[in-house]
Amino acid sequence: MSNLTYEAVNWNAPTSELAKVFWDQQWKQIWFPEEIAVSKDISQWQTFEHQDTYKKVFGGLTLLDTLQTNVGMNEIAKFAPDLQEKAVLTVFAAFEAIHAKSYSYIFTTLCKNAEIDEIFEWVKKNEFLQYKAARISDIYQSIEEGDPESLWKAMYASVMLESFLFYSGFFYPLYLGGQGVLRNSAEVISLILRDESIHGVAVGFFAQNIFKRFSQEKQDELKIWGYELLLDLYQNELRYTEDVYAETGLSPEVKAYVRYNANKALMNVGFEAMFPEEEVNPIVMNGIRNEGSTYDFFSQKGATYAVAKVAPITDDTFNFSHLKGSEKSEEK
Amino acid sequence: MKTYLKLNNEVLNQYATTGSIDNGKDKEATRRYFLEEVNVRMRHFINLEDKLEYLIEEGYYEKEFLEAYSFEFIKGLYEKAYSYKFRFSSFMSASKFYEGYAMKSRDGKEILEKYEDRIVIIALYLAQGDETLAEQAVEAMMEAYQPATPTALNSGKKARGELVSCFKLTMDDTMNSIAENIGYCLELSRLGGGVGVNLTDLRPLGDPIKGILNKASGVIPVAKLLENSFLYSNQLGQRNGSGVAYLNIFHGDIENFISSKKPNADDKIRLATLSTGIIIPGIFFELMKRDKDVVLFSPYDIYKEYGQRMSELSMSAMYYELLDNPNIRKLKRLNARKLYTEIKKAQFESGYPFEIFDDNVNKVHPLKGIGRVKMSNLCTEILQVQETSIITDQDQPNEYGLDVSCNLGSLDIHKATKVNDFGQLVDTSIRLLTNVSTMTYIRNVPSVANANKLMHSIGLGVMNLHGHLVHEEIPYGSQDSIDFIDAFMEAVNYYSIQSSMEIAKEKKETFYRFEDSDYANGEYFNQYTDKKAVLHSSKVTKALGSVPLITAHMWKELKAQVMEHGLYHAYRLAIAPTGSISYIRNSTASIAPCTERVEIRDYADSRTIYPMPFMNNDNKHLYTEAYDVNPYELIDVYAAAQKHVDQGISMTLYVTDQWTTEQLAKVYIYAWMKGIKSVYYVRQRLQTLEECVACQI
Repeated sequence: MSNLTYEAVNWNAPTSELAKVFWDQQWKQIWFPEEIAVSKDISQWQTFEHQDTYKKVFGGLTLLDTLQTNVGMNEIAKFAPDLQEKAVLTVFAAFEAIHAKSYSYIFTTLCKNAEIDEIFEWVKKNEFLQYKAARISDIYQSIEEGDPESLWKAMYASVMLESFLFYSGFFYPLYLGGQGVLRNSAEVISLILRDESIHGVAVGFFAQNIFKRFSQEKQDELKIWGYELLLDLYQNELRYTEDVYAETGLSPEVKAYVRYNANKALMNVGFEAMFPEEEVNPIVMNGIRNEGSTYDFFSQKGATYAVAKVAPITDDTFNFSHLKGSEKSEEK
Repeated sequence: MKTYLKLNNEVLNQYATTGSIDNGKDKEATRRYFLEEVNVRMRHFINLEDKLEYLIEEGYYEKEFLEAYSFEFIKGLYEKAYSYKFRFSSFMSASKFYEGYAMKSRDGKEILEKYEDRIVIIALYLAQGDETLAEQAVEAMMEAYQPATPTALNSGKKARGELVSCFKLTMDDTMNSIAENIGYCLELSRLGGGVGVNLTDLRPLGDPIKGILNKASGVIPVAKLLENSFLYSNQLGQRNGSGVAYLNIFHGDIENFISSKKPNADDKIRLATLSTGIIIPGIFFELMKRDKDVVLFSPYDIYKEYGQRMSELSMSAMYYELLDNPNIRKLKRLNARKLYTEIKKAQFESGYPFEIFDDNVNKVHPLKGIGRVKMSNLCTEILQVQETSIITDQDQPNEYGLDVSCNLGSLDIHKATKVNDFGQLVDTSIRLLTNVSTMTYIRNVPSVANANKLMHSIGLGVMNLHGHLVHEEIPYGSQDSIDFIDAFMEAVNYYSIQSSMEIAKEKKETFYRFEDSDYANGEYFNQYTDKKAVLHSSKVTKALGSVPLITAHMWKELKAQVMEHGLYHAYRLAIAPTGSISYIRNSTASIAPCTERVEIRDYADSRTIYPMPFMNNDNKHLYTEAYDVNPYELIDVYAAAQKHVDQGISMTLYVTDQWTTEQLAKVYIYAWMKGIKSVYYVRQRLQTLEECVACQI
C-alpha cells in the first residue's frame, strides 16, 4: 500500500480561476447531433457538385477530433495539477467525442457505406493530414509528470489544434451553409465550433497561468518554440488546403480564414498575432454568429436550450412594490 | 458565390466587429439581387393584356374573379398600384417576397409577378367585383395593410391553398370524437393549417372505462396521435404540419403534460414537435399566492356529476364546490408553487408550454353570454367561444358545434399614422378580411364551416410598433410608448366596431346570438363611455400622426348605433406574431421589441441578414433588444394594447440563462395581474463565453 494522500476535488473552494465558468458554460451548451435534422440536406446533397471536397473536409475534421478525444484532452487532464481544471478538461474530452461522432452522423446520413470507407482510407493516406496529427500527437505524448514545460507545450499544441487547425475544414460547411446549401450539416458544425471556442479559450487560459511562472529566459525560449511550431503547421496547412480545395477555387479564401484563426489561437495563449489583418469572407464569419439567430418557429429547431436554474417561489414572488407605478398592479 | 449574399452578410459582419451600421451595403445587396436574380428571371410581357392572357391561359390565375371587372378598370388599378413607385427597402424584404410570395412558373425558374402585381391581384380577388373596394384595397395595401401569409400568397391563384391557415378544435371524451378530430387534423394540416386541439375534456390516465377503473390511457397518447398526424400530413413534404394541444392545469394528467416537452423526457411521453399550452384559471394563482395545495380532477367525474364538460365551467367558480363534493375524486394534491416551478423549468428547457389565463380571457369576453373561451390556437392570439360537437355512431347524424378558423391581417403602425383617412384604412381592412371569411368554406370540417358561417370572425392586428417608436425616438417600454399603443389600439378598436356595425347594417345580418352579447346590452362600451380625456406628451401626439383620438362622446354615439344595428363579426381583433409578412414590409414583428438590431434569420434552406427598419448609426441605441428590455415594462406595453383587443395578443417573453425559475414565475404572475390573456413562447439567450468571462474578471 502506498502512502500517498488522495485529495478530493472541492468545488466549494475555487482553486483555479474561471474553472467553474468554463464548466458551466460547456454544460449549458450541451447538444447531440441527433437533434439536428441532417436528413433535410439529402436532396441537396444528391446534386451537390463538390461532394469529394466536402467528404474530405469532414474526414479531416473527424481525425482531428478523434486525436483530441483519445490523446489530447485526456493526456492534458492526466497531468494538469489542479483538480478543478482536470475535471473541466475531462468534460471537454467528452464533448470532443460527441464531435467526432457527429461527423459520422453526417456521413451516415448523406453517404453510402463504400464512400464512407473510402474516406477513412483517404484519411490514413493523406500526408498533410497525417503530418499535422503526428506533430500534435508527439507533443501530447511527451508530457512528463511534474514538468510544467512539457505540460505547457501540450496545452499550446492543443490550442493550435482547436483554434487554428480545425478551421481549414470548418470553412467549407460555413461557407455553404450561409448560402443555404447543406444548412443542417452547417448547423452541426456551428455547434461544434461553439464548443471548440470554449476549449481554445480555456486551455489557452490555463496555459497562460503556467507560462507566467516561467523565468524570462524560459519564456523567450518557449515563445520561439511556439512561433516555430505555428509556422511549421501553417506551411503544412497551406498545402493541405490546396490539396483538399483544389477543385473549388476557394483556396485563397480558406487560407485567409486560416491566418485569421492562427492569430486568434496566438491570442488565446497570450501571444501576439503574427499575420496582418485581412478581409475574411463575411458569410463564413457570420456562420458562427448563431447565438440569437431567429428561427422560424414552424421549421427548424433552435440551437439554444439550457438547464433551468431552480429557485423556489416565495411570498416575495407576489410582491411587486419595487416596480414603479406598482399601485396600478393592485387592480386584481 | 452570389455577390448579394456576400454584401448582405457584410452588414452583420461589420456591425459585429465595429458596432457600426452600413445600410449602403444592404442597399447594394438589394440592387445586386435584382440584377443577378430577379431581373434575369422575370418573364417579360408586351403589355398587361398579354400578361393576363398568358397567366390565365397557362392556368396560373383563376379566370372567374377577373371577369367580374372590365379590362379598363383592371388596367387603371395596375396603374394606380405602380404610381406609388414602390421600392423594397431591404434585401430581406425583397428576397422574402420573391422567394416566398411572387407567382413563379411551375418549374420555379421564371418569375411572373412583381410586388405591385401581387397587390392588385389580391385586391381584385378579395373585392369580388366591387370596384370601389378593389381601389380602396390597392390603396390600403400599398400604404399600410398587409393580409396574412395564406391570403397574400394564395389569392387569385388557380392551384392554391386555403386563404386561412389557423384552426381550433374541441375534442370530446368519446372514441368517436377523438377519431373524428384526428381526421380533421389530417385534413386541416393537408390544407396547410396550424391546428389547436383542446384535450381538457378527456379523462386522465387510470380513469374508468365503462365503469372499470385503471383502463383509460389519458391525454398523452392522444397528443402523440395528434403529433403523428401533423407529421404525416405535411403538404407534399414542404413543411411539417404543426399543432398545439391545450390542457387545464387542474386536469389529472397535467404533470405528464408539462414534462412532455422537456428534451430529456421519456420517449413514451415526449412530444417532440407538437406544441403545448396550459389553461390557468385565476384560482390557481390565488392558491399559489397563499402557498396552498391544488387538487387535480377528472373531467369524467365532473361530466357525470354536473352534466358539463370541464372546459365548459369556470374552475375558479367551481373549485371549492368540487373539493366539497364527495362524488368528485381528488386525484392528486400538489403544492401550487412547486407545480408552477415545474412549468417554469419546462419553459426554460423547451420554451413550452404556452399559458392562457382563463379568467383574464373570460371576464372581459364580450360574448360571455354565449359561452366560454376554452383554449387558444398555435400562436395564442385567437380566443373565441367554442361549442363541442357531438360525434355519434356512423348510423346516427352528428350534431356539429362551433370550432374556429381564423383569418388575419395586420396594419403597419408606422404607415398607418401617415394615411389620409385612418378610419377608411381600418374599414377597408375589415372588409377585406370579411370577404376572406365569406370566401372560405372548409367543407371537411363541419364545425369550422358552421362557425365561420355564423360568426364571421376575423382578426385584424398590427406590426412595426418598435420600428415606429424608434422612428419617433420613443424608447420601447417608456410611458410614452405605452400611451402611444393605448391610443392607437383604441382607435383601431373604435373604427373596427364602426365598420362591423356598418357591414351589419348593409347586409342586414349580425353574428349568431348578437343579442346575447355585451355589445347588444351596451356593457362592453362602459370602459370607454365613462373614461376621462387624457393629455398626451407632444411626442405621443406627433407619433400618432393622422390617427384620431377617440373621445367618450364618440364612443357613446357608436354604442347607440351598435345597439341598434348590431355587429357583423363576433370577433374583430387579434395581434398575431407576424413572421414573414413583417419581413416583406420591412417592419418589426407585431408589437414586440426587436430581438437583435441586426437579425440573422434562418429558414430551412437559407440565411438572411436583416438590419432593423429605419436604423442608422444615430438611432441604433433606441433599438433595445428584447432580452435587454425590462420584462415588466414589456408587459405594460402589451397590457395597454390588450385593453382594446377583443381576442388576444401573441406575447413572447425573453430571458437569459442567468434567470432563475422564480424570476420567470414572477414575470408571469405580473402578466396575469395586469390582465394579459396569454403568454406565447419563452425565448432564451445563452450568454457567450466572452460575456461570462467578462463578468467574472
